[in-house]
Amino acid sequence: MLGVYDFCGHYDWTFEWLRRQGGEALVREYWDQAISQDSQRHAAELIVPGGIPGMIEYWGHTLEHEAAGYHCTATDRVYRIDMHECPSKGFLIRNGLQQYHDYCGHCLGWIGPLLHRAGFVAAHQHDDSGRCWWEIRRADDPAPPSQPGELAGDHDVRLLPDWEQG
Amino acid sequence: MDGLRRYWADLGAQYYEPVSASWRQRGLAGVAEYWRAFFAAEPGAVTDVTEDGTAVVVEVRVCAAFKHLRAHGREIVPCFCQQCYFLNEAIAAPAGLTVRVEGGNGDCRQTFLPRNDGIPDQDLNAIRVATC
Repeated sequence: MLGVYDFCGHYDWTFEWLRRQGGEALVREYWDQAISQDSQRHAAELIVPGGIPGMIEYWGHTLEHEAAGYHCTATDRVYRIDMHECPSKGFLIRNGLQQYHDYCGHCLGWIGPLLHRAGFVAAHQHDDSGRCWWEIRRADDPAPPSQPGELAGDHDVRLLPDWEQG
Repeated sequence: MDGLRRYWADLGAQYYEPVSASWRQRGLAGVAEYWRAFFAAEPGAVTDVTEDGTAVVVEVRVCAAFKHLRAHGREIVPCFCQQCYFLNEAIAAPAGLTVRVEGGNGDCRQTFLPRNDGIPDQDLNAIRVATC
């Protein structure tokens, strides 16, 4: 049976299996239909009606639950996450698991469509070593991503000397 | 359904290949040890794993997956419990073993034993339809 301990390993393997069955389009369809619209529907229930306060509630709980090393910054216009130690990618790295070439892409793969439905867009970069940043603004907000350190101060992953953007 | 069964079979044969190798090397003792460690890591599972030299019996009294899905009001597909047969068989076969599953829908018995011609095929009707 499938267990929860190496759930991230199943996830990674499944992305690659789907890619081999139907190409990248099938992987993206899975991220949208199975994750964004189904398994993470509780995220949509908070974020679509709630906007940034809904994001604070959703990611505050989820990232604490996953014991992630992260920092969140919120204003009335932007929600920012600086992920320093992603527990999901970290599990794969610690256990030498890599099947799909862009595991980290699954986050934008499900969060992106959800944000679109909520009227938001995300600026995002990841470095494939368990670190990433997100800035989420309303879709009609023309503001560009902040400069490194401008919003999150010393917590901004882009300030790390070995940060390599994905 | 064919695609789902192919997914389970590939997952067992490929992702779990190290588990198959361990079972092939260590036999039923390795199977029992694997499942004891597996369920120790499953939050909320209540199981007994016994081995008598001829078979390993995994008695799942509280399935952690069902407990989680039901606690969170998630849909459970009717064929949910078939994953345990098709996945575990794909892990067991390369190790010279086979599995039979009885019950389901929150509790079941899974029996791992050496493959031989005298063992009847898995009766899929012996695996209960899952409900929410």
